[in-house]
Order: sequence, then C-alpha cells, then structure tokens
Amino acid sequence: MSVATGPSATGSSATAAEDAVRVAAVGDIHLGEDCTGLLRTAFDGLTDCADLLLLAGDLTRHGTAAEAEVVAGEVRGIGIPVVAVLGNHDYHSGEEAGITRVLRDAGVAVLEGESVVLSVAGHKVGVAGTKGFCGGFVGRSAGEFGEPEMKAFVRTTRLSAARLTAALGDLAVGGCALRIALTHFSPVPDTLAGEPLEIYPFLGSYLLAEAIDSAGADLSVHGHAHLGTEHGMTAGGVRVRNVAQPVIGKAYALYHLHPDGHGGPAR
Amino acid sequence: MTEPHTGAHEDEYRIARLRERLAGDDVAELGIQVEQRGGAVLLTGTVPTVGHRDEILLLARGELGGLTVRVDLEVACADAPDRWEELS
Repeated sequence: MSVATGPSATGSSATAAEDAVRVAAVGDIHLGEDCTGLLRTAFDGLTDCADLLLLAGDLTRHGTAAEAEVVAGEVRGIGIPVVAVLGNHDYHSGEEAGITRVLRDAGVAVLEGESVVLSVAGHKVGVAGTKGFCGGFVGRSAGEFGEPEMKAFVRTTRLSAARLTAALGDLAVGGCALRIALTHFSPVPDTLAGEPLEIYPFLGSYLLAEAIDSAGADLSVHGHAHLGTEHGMTAGGVRVRNVAQPVIGKAYALYHLHPDGHGGPAR
Repeated sequence: MTEPHTGAHEDEYRIARLRERLAGDDVAELGIQVEQRGGAVLLTGTVPTVGHRDEILLLARGELGGLTVRVDLEVACADAPDRWEELS
C-alpha cells in the first residue's frame, strides 16, 4: 500500500493524481438520537477531498427510523453522492424499511442486493451493495445441514452473496470504469485480525468473497468488525478495506482509485 | 447433595450477564470486550459519545458490584482524515 499525505481536515484542493476517483468510506457510526451533528463537520469538508461517500452499515444504534433521521441529517446535501448498505444494528428494531425510506429521502442510495452507477470525476463508477451475513470462512464455516434454523442461517448468506454477484455483474455489463462491492459483513478473515477467533463465523462469510471474485471488483469495502484491521484481500486478489469507524479512527477513510487499475479478476 | 460452588466461576457468569445486557435493547453495544485481567474486569472498545461510555460504566458497576472494574473505552474520533491511501 502507499499512503500519501492528503488534503487537510479543512479541505485543501490538493489531489494526488488527476485521474483518481476519490472514495470516502465509513461504517459502524452507530448514531443514536443524541448524536446529531457528530460527523457533520467532517462530512461538510468532503466536497474538497472525495467524489463519493460509502456508508458500510450499522449507521444507527438501535435500528430505529428516528435514529435514521439523525444519520440523514449528517449526510443530507453534503455535495457528493452517498451510497449505503444497512448493518445488523439497523435491523434490530424491525424498522429497516423505515430506515431505508428516511435515508433515501435524504438522497442516499441504499442498496440491498442492488447496484448504482454514479458519474463522478469523469468516470462511471458502480457500487454493488448488500448487508451480507455471517457463517465463517473456508474450512471453518457453517453448513446448510440439519435443523431448519441452521439451514435458514446459511441460506441467508448464500442468497445475499448471490444477489451481490448479480449486482456486480450488472455493473460489468454497464461498462463501469470502476466497480466497488459494499457490504456490512466481511468477505475475508484478513480484516478481522484482532477480533477473537471464536467469533469469526459471526463476522462474515467466504461466500461474499466468492461472489466478489467471481463477478470482479476493484475494491471491497465493509464494516462490522470493530476490533479488526483495515487491510485485506480476497483469494482472487481484490483489495478489501474494513472501514468500521473504530478501526479507521477517523470520521471516514479516503481511498484514491484509478480506473486503469487491475480492475478485479473477473473483468 | 452437593453444595453449589461459588467463587471465580460465578464472576464468569456475571461477566456473561453484563455482556448480554450491553447487547440488549437499552445499550445496544456489541463491540465492547469484557475480560478478567489481574483480578479486575477490563472493559475495552470504542463508543460514539462520552454519554455512551458513562452509560456502559454505570451498567458495569451495577452488574459487577464488588469487583474492580477498569475501563479503557475510547470515544470514536469524528475528525476528517489528513491522508489518503493510493490504490493503484
């Protein structure tokens, strides 16, 4: 990885390379009703240093539409496109539909097994998103066997992965210069390093990585693993970034992607 | 009849109960680690606000009364980054 000194927090117009698509990303902000304005100052500077903002789920604390209003207030009108997936916290109160509606009303593209194409920085950038689910990683994963509850558990992940494959495939057909996979749960164990090994099966699934590798992507972004690490890679060579706020230690992480990069294995 | 055991293992169940309460409806904090270290119970993790940290501390002291509770809970940094990563 190369890390360049970037724009200041006050929003210098300096850029590393003119052809770069600048991606800001954060997950696990867990905003409660008492968190109004917590991230707004940082987000107000995004137009100077980013072309789009990705939100990798767990945007609310208890998963209520009232908390989603707080999230909406943080990102409404920030001047760049915002794309989100929901996380497990956002489902906790059974108000995920309301949360989605509140965020969409604020201009956020909320994805669940869907994709969106953005025209930013002179390029077509596609984002395919799903919350994803858990089950574990190769050699240490749950199987679709036995009790109906266990089968339903694994099928949930399998369905989510299938929808991610299809959404990334749509972006390939659409001729996007860059494709990004956005999930809440992790596709790889690399970015879980620091979490207790015993809970890895509850933090992600290899099925998501298989989807990303089979359809191809330039970058995979996820959250969920607060004690994990930022950097990882799928078996197929797609870079993975864990942007859970406790991991990145900032309001968001910034990545500069180049449309003439390797483009993912399945392009 | 065997008398029920009390002692260190009881502390383990109290810690498990605290973790359940942290993950419950009121607090909804799944990212807090609660572990026994050196005769004390250590809480680590990152929370969105100082208020959340205080809320967790109050709950821990209530559930773990009589045990020493040490808290290393950080409040998430809400500052913009001063660098980017070049992916090429």
